[in-house]
Amino acid sequence: MARFLGIFAVTLLVLFTLELLGPIQQGVIQPFTSGLASVSSALILPFDDGVVSTGRILRDVASGFAVSIESGCNGVEAAIVLIAGILAFPARWQYKASAILLGFLAIQVMNIARIISLFYLGQWNSTVFEWTHLYFWPVLIMLDVLVVFAIYLRWLAAKGEATSD
Amino acid sequence: MTEFGFRQQIITSLSLIPVTFALWYAAGAPLAAPASWLAERLMTWILGEVVLGSQLQDTIWMVISAFGEENGVILFPARGGENLAIQIDTRLVSYSVPFYAALLWGSRVSEPVLKFCIGLAMLWLVMALSLIGVAAKDLMLLAGSQFLERPGVPPADVIAVWYQFSVLLAPTLAPVMLWLSQLRGTPLWQRLSRQLEAASRSST
Repeated sequence: MARFLGIFAVTLLVLFTLELLGPIQQGVIQPFTSGLASVSSALILPFDDGVVSTGRILRDVASGFAVSIESGCNGVEAAIVLIAGILAFPARWQYKASAILLGFLAIQVMNIARIISLFYLGQWNSTVFEWTHLYFWPVLIMLDVLVVFAIYLRWLAAKGEATSD
Repeated sequence: MTEFGFRQQIITSLSLIPVTFALWYAAGAPLAAPASWLAERLMTWILGEVVLGSQLQDTIWMVISAFGEENGVILFPARGGENLAIQIDTRLVSYSVPFYAALLWGSRVSEPVLKFCIGLAMLWLVMALSLIGVAAKDLMLLAGSQFLERPGVPPADVIAVWYQFSVLLAPTLAPVMLWLSQLRGTPLWQRLSRQLEAASRSST
């Protein structure tokens, strides 16, 4: 357990610090965040053609309401927690790589749901937007990380021919 | 004792979240007061030259600095007792409490009240460190090099990482880590332990 916690803490701090470096932000994080805005816009467009995305900004043409997807809203920090947990737990490297890839996708699916929901909640009520943005969605995303990690452990247990529950 | 699985835990915690968040909102200042008091003690001890004190008004924590301002120029120390202050909404970090409560109260832990009190004390410590991170970032933006050059003030990069960690990760990660540490002995922990042992075997 101590070994797991040690590797988890160090990996978390290293990845979190790396994510904040200027070149990583400009070369990886910001283009990725812009991509999230584009994906969100593409998912909304079949149902609502009044939405446009420019860079990290998602805007409703009719009302002029816009949301800018900033650091902390792109699911990268949640993914870092998951990656640190996966790397810290002993398993074969191919299992870890698969879990990181699928886990990252699972977090981003949830995160796109967050972006789209906030885009519409913001047009409806600013107080509800603030609450869901600042408090509820971060909690739900962390629960998502917990669930994905639990599924990974369960999958590993099955691989280890454990007696399932 | 019946089996209590992870799925049931998540569903119970999700159901409790609206209740715990409503209680947290209603509680207001008392939930943030110990953390803001501790943060003030630490800041005035380490950065006594630049932080004079603080006040908690509802959930807003106001940190009174030794800096002043005259015609757009930051002064150190302030003249005429007109000190600049920064305001921080403690809810930015204190929402870890209702999240932790939903996780813990959704579990079948023994002595839940005692464990919650211990967890709350630990969270207040994390919240205090987070509030210091936010305050340091605000003071850095307010006074720039005048703040960074004072004794005891960490480098700008450290403040930036500390602030980001305090706001983006600590409020959601700390409750999960605390809750996991308090799960030992519960049916959920026994089930997780069996899975962990089996999962470890897959690495060999």
